[in-house]
Amino acid sequence: MSKEAPLSIAEREFILEALRQDSRLDGRTPDQFRPLKISFGDEYGHVNLELGNTSIIVRISAEVTKPRDERPFDGLFNINLELSAMGSPAWENGRPNDVESSVTHVLDSVIRHSNALDTESLCILKGVSCWSIRADVHVVAYDGNLTDAACIAVMTGLQHFRRPDAVVRDGQVVVYGVEERVPVALNITHKPLSVTFFAFNESKNIIVDATLKEEQASEGELVIGINNGGEMCFMNKFSGATINAREIVTRTSVALEKVKDLNAQIDRAMQADLALRAKRGMAEESRAENDR
Amino acid sequence: MVGPTASLSNLSRADGSASFKCPTTGYKILGSVNAPVELPGRRDALKPEEATVEVFIKPGNTTAGVGERYVEGIIRTMLQKLILGRERGFPRRGVVITLAIVGGGAIARGDSYLTLLPSLLHTSLLALLSGAVPMSMTYSTALVAVSKSNVIISNPTLVEAKAASSLHVLAFSSKGHLLLNESQGRFDFDTWKTVQQCAHALCRGVDLPEVDGDIAMEAQGDSGTAEGFVRETVENHLYRDYAWKIDTE
Repeated sequence: MSKEAPLSIAEREFILEALRQDSRLDGRTPDQFRPLKISFGDEYGHVNLELGNTSIIVRISAEVTKPRDERPFDGLFNINLELSAMGSPAWENGRPNDVESSVTHVLDSVIRHSNALDTESLCILKGVSCWSIRADVHVVAYDGNLTDAACIAVMTGLQHFRRPDAVVRDGQVVVYGVEERVPVALNITHKPLSVTFFAFNESKNIIVDATLKEEQASEGELVIGINNGGEMCFMNKFSGATINAREIVTRTSVALEKVKDLNAQIDRAMQADLALRAKRGMAEESRAENDR
Repeated sequence: MVGPTASLSNLSRADGSASFKCPTTGYKILGSVNAPVELPGRRDALKPEEATVEVFIKPGNTTAGVGERYVEGIIRTMLQKLILGRERGFPRRGVVITLAIVGGGAIARGDSYLTLLPSLLHTSLLALLSGAVPMSMTYSTALVAVSKSNVIISNPTLVEAKAASSLHVLAFSSKGHLLLNESQGRFDFDTWKTVQQCAHALCRGVDLPEVDGDIAMEAQGDSGTAEGFVRETVENHLYRDYAWKIDTE
């Protein structure tokens, strides 16, 4: 298996010593995220996200399928993350690796299992047809903190996505095209995000949003999934050095603060985009000239 | 008509990368090239004297299936012949090309993959050029459809391609030789001949008479052709990259 180029001893020492003196390579404070840039593609649910040098594209799609037999009232929702050699030369195409499985696990727990997307609202006709929502995560460039970036991107995509309207008429499911009826937004119950902490120097220094180099130098990580209301939906201490229990409590409040801030940024980017779309849509409708 | 748009070297981690948008089909492709890289765990498949070309297509909102594998095969066989895999540092290594479909509709099961093929080929060429992978020649490709009433449609839209009786993808090398021909549907040889001329004109401009062996030099690098587009994109990128040097001269 290919590996990321390891840190040299000098680099590792430099990062650790800098953290001991409370500074990071890029001059951020321990609880500061890299600049987040969210932009949207032409279609609904297409999100381009950049967190520092980490870059992710998420596409949300919907199709009508049959619900599962044991859950006739529920629609389907899947998050699909496949790492390719595009994101990092260390990832091989078509071969799952450790990063992929751990990020998928966190995304599934934070977004899917916490029921951020209300799957019952995706049901069209009990036991016969429902919406299947699919989120595809493409990692385009990897520079650390994939988990949080992917989480932000998927949640943004879900809030931005509009599915076609569907109704049941005389036992027949009718799906209206985007031109016929205004497409409907998904039913988001709450907005959880994950915040990943990395521990250094016997867990004396704990930072958020580590770059790839910081991740490589770290001793252990802690992932907290929490929503705006402060309800925790996921917590995992995967591996590495121990972290004091009291430290975890304080980090939880840091995570809450971060999630509130990130959600506000998502809202701002989305409102700006939706306003732009509304204006463009209106201009299209109210145009006096026609194509002829 | 609006031409395609492309940009080079837009990814930070890959050796070479390019994005390409086709206006008629609406597909947007992001391509990356890593070369030469070690391909561990595939020692048996590696050729001792040549580089191994790997192509991977990642659809935008489905899992990769038979269609992707099929197109990967076409692209791989074509590029394997163009990439100079015997150059220093390349034998026993891999040239890994990853193409992600980041915009445009999904190809439904049973639909033709040929509509996507020219965009994929152009993206991989631009990515290879951006990654400075040695190649024996460049190429340009075109999609041509023949409608039910035997009308030849160059650069068809997805609707036109679906209604067409036959679809053709042709690629021409930078010297004008036919590199690739993928056809689908019912057609006869005369139709194919006109399709070939049409595709040649799309890729390389005016069809040149070969009787007297005269080659009109002005026709080369004609903007508006597929080849001119590739050249212009790379040229613009080089101008930007070497702005510091040009400025000091």
